[in-house]
Amino acid sequence: MKTKVVLNFRPEAANTPITNNLITKHHLLVNILRAEIDEIGGKMVLELQGKTDDIRKGLEYLKSSGVGVRPIKEGVRRDDDICTHCGMCISICPTRALALDAKTGKVTFTEEKCVACGVCIDACPPRAMEILL
Amino acid sequence: MTAEEFKQFVKSNGIKKAAKQVDIVTTGTFGAMCSSGAYFNFGHAEPPIKMQKVWLDGIPAYGGLAAVDAYLGATELDESNNMLHGGAHVIENLVRGKAVRLRATAYGTDCYPRKEIDTYISLKTVNQAVLMNVRNCYQNYAVATNSSSKTLYTYMGKLLPEFGNATYSSAGEVSPLLNDPYYRTIGVGTRIFLGGAQGFVIWEGTQFNPGVPRTETGVPKRPAGSIAVIGDLKQMSSEFIRGLAFTKYGTSLGIGIGVPIPILDEELAKNCAVTNDQIVTAVFDYSQPSRARTVIREISYSELRSGEATIKGRQVPTSSLSSLYKARRIAESLKNQILKREFSVEKPVQSFSMDREFKTLDVRSEKEAM
Repeated sequence: MKTKVVLNFRPEAANTPITNNLITKHHLLVNILRAEIDEIGGKMVLELQGKTDDIRKGLEYLKSSGVGVRPIKEGVRRDDDICTHCGMCISICPTRALALDAKTGKVTFTEEKCVACGVCIDACPPRAMEILL
Repeated sequence: MTAEEFKQFVKSNGIKKAAKQVDIVTTGTFGAMCSSGAYFNFGHAEPPIKMQKVWLDGIPAYGGLAAVDAYLGATELDESNNMLHGGAHVIENLVRGKAVRLRATAYGTDCYPRKEIDTYISLKTVNQAVLMNVRNCYQNYAVATNSSSKTLYTYMGKLLPEFGNATYSSAGEVSPLLNDPYYRTIGVGTRIFLGGAQGFVIWEGTQFNPGVPRTETGVPKRPAGSIAVIGDLKQMSSEFIRGLAFTKYGTSLGIGIGVPIPILDEELAKNCAVTNDQIVTAVFDYSQPSRARTVIREISYSELRSGEATIKGRQVPTSSLSSLYKARRIAESLKNQILKREFSVEKPVQSFSMDREFKTLDVRSEKEAM
């Protein structure tokens, strides 16, 4: 299975190789979607892939290491009332989660493909895209 | 019929039949259109004020017209340069029926003694609220890309480094001025769809430049014509009037415009039959900080619409800044209004001059400017 989580950690946790431990000790495939670390701690968005039991154990390991763990269902959300379907977001989206439906002329947003990188947020002229972390 | 329907009709039936059977083709475009704004007459205060400085929701409006008239530009920002909220957003809020804070100061005169006012206005309270744009609806536009190692934030949107993407800004085959390349039916007085209401073309747009290179069928290969337009803001809809924010560039107004093109003869039928593969434009590197950027290549709208373009040997993802979805809605809406006789197609009262030159601004002496 696959899941996306937001991790919040204090500066001292930044010295623990948590992603490495998730890979080696819990046999998970880890895709770092976003990482921000500064002097007051950090935030990371990970996509974890592996057996259901390994993911559960991996998340328990993170919590026991003092890392705040929050699952995300939607990293990026589009407000359909605001979107004008111009298509600016299409060419900057690295995973093609945003695409043009040639038939309707509308911009489609496939949430499963979105990795919450956030590159579309400040590129959207009417500001229809929002990142929820 | 709409421009897209007409192109299909020509494919199946030929130009001759299309010219005979079709009266009017409706076109549409929705995109960021700078050089836009609205003027207002607020009504007179008691005691009256001759407004010298005017702010609408904190955005400066130009008050150097008369006592209570002001013009609010779409790209105007507040003093803090907040690029998420400019004149365009105030215009959208008014169209949405919201109240907007009006502040004005004055030096006071014998006939206008008041020196300041702080109040609220809406489209219901003002005498006139008129959208008047000096350059809209560009006939073709450039494609922007970025060869540098940094992300560029431009009026053509976010341009990723190392040719990471390319953006374009024309509705292509459905765009009004690309269907009547020599402005035979579009001129001063043409009634148009403007922001969801009916408006008019009032003049050629600024930077009107019909002399650019054209294809064999006459379609300009570079930004060429444009139109100045006017319409009653009170009748408009937020579906077609939208404040837009371009990060680290500023604000602009998203406007929907539709123009009906009467099929006067076979020549116009040929013009309106033009398809995206026959419309080309030029790709420019926006990291080149010059008014005369080098053309990287010419490219058709069918290639741009495919989602990928070959630029300097790379496959580069492409994005439109112009909404195809809304352009189609406008063309469709205009068609329905004409069929219901709610919209009458006007003959222009004056054609645009084809002799306009595209001049540059250089640092020059008084004598050189004469």
